[in-house]
Amino acid sequence: MDKPETSGDIIRIPSETRYIADVDEFIESRLRDAGLNNSIIADLAISVTEIVNNAILHGNGADANKIVQVRLTVTPERIEVRVKDQGRGFDPDKIPDPLAEANLLNVVGRGLLIVRSLMDSVDFNFSDSGTEIVIAKSINK
Amino acid sequence: MKLSHRETEGVIILEPKGKIMGGPDATMLHDLLHEFIDQNKKKVVIDLSKVEWMNSTGLGILISGLTTLRNNGGELKLAGVTEKIESLLTITKLITVFDNYDNVDEAVKSFK
Repeated sequence: MDKPETSGDIIRIPSETRYIADVDEFIESRLRDAGLNNSIIADLAISVTEIVNNAILHGNGADANKIVQVRLTVTPERIEVRVKDQGRGFDPDKIPDPLAEANLLNVVGRGLLIVRSLMDSVDFNFSDSGTEIVIAKSINK
Repeated sequence: MKLSHRETEGVIILEPKGKIMGGPDATMLHDLLHEFIDQNKKKVVIDLSKVEWMNSTGLGILISGLTTLRNNGGELKLAGVTEKIESLLTITKLITVFDNYDNVDEAVKSFK
């Protein structure tokens, strides 16, 4: 696969950061169609692009031959996004605390903090085929 | 993301427009910021009034610019931060790190 592919509620991209914008457009257009407000759309877009960026760079090691898959599910009560890479996984508890004084000016390392703050739940599934991160947010229309 | 810039009263104003999410656009902002730093420009304002949102990649670019400028006797200030970006700065405690002004004029004046 050398460019993004969409099929229903799924978009798959080669692991290149230039395709993060395609994921953003995929997510935002479907959430707009679902009638969600701009603030919730922004929260989802920030969180999904955050996780996709990590999947590309850390999960798949920026190997363009590896795929990141994003699945969006919207119900009247909830938005759920599943992001899957082909990497070996990581320990989320071992990420240095970005709020610690010593880390405050680090250039990287605050992505998961942001996602956990904006979303209602963040779950990790690690398997031999890759890592899946599942984020969800309740909808109060 | 579109990116423009101007200079006023010895202060460089960077004007990104759109979203800062990673990929080539984010690299463009980072590279332009560091180009001015390499030219020994020490006063920089980033006008964020037309940035809908950014993720941690965008925050990292701001931090990188700030620390490089400060290490060279300069300063980077923010102007026109939207509610969404302000919430991200608060979540990450970066609200305590950056000088933030309602608009570019006030940010430029603060350098005097």
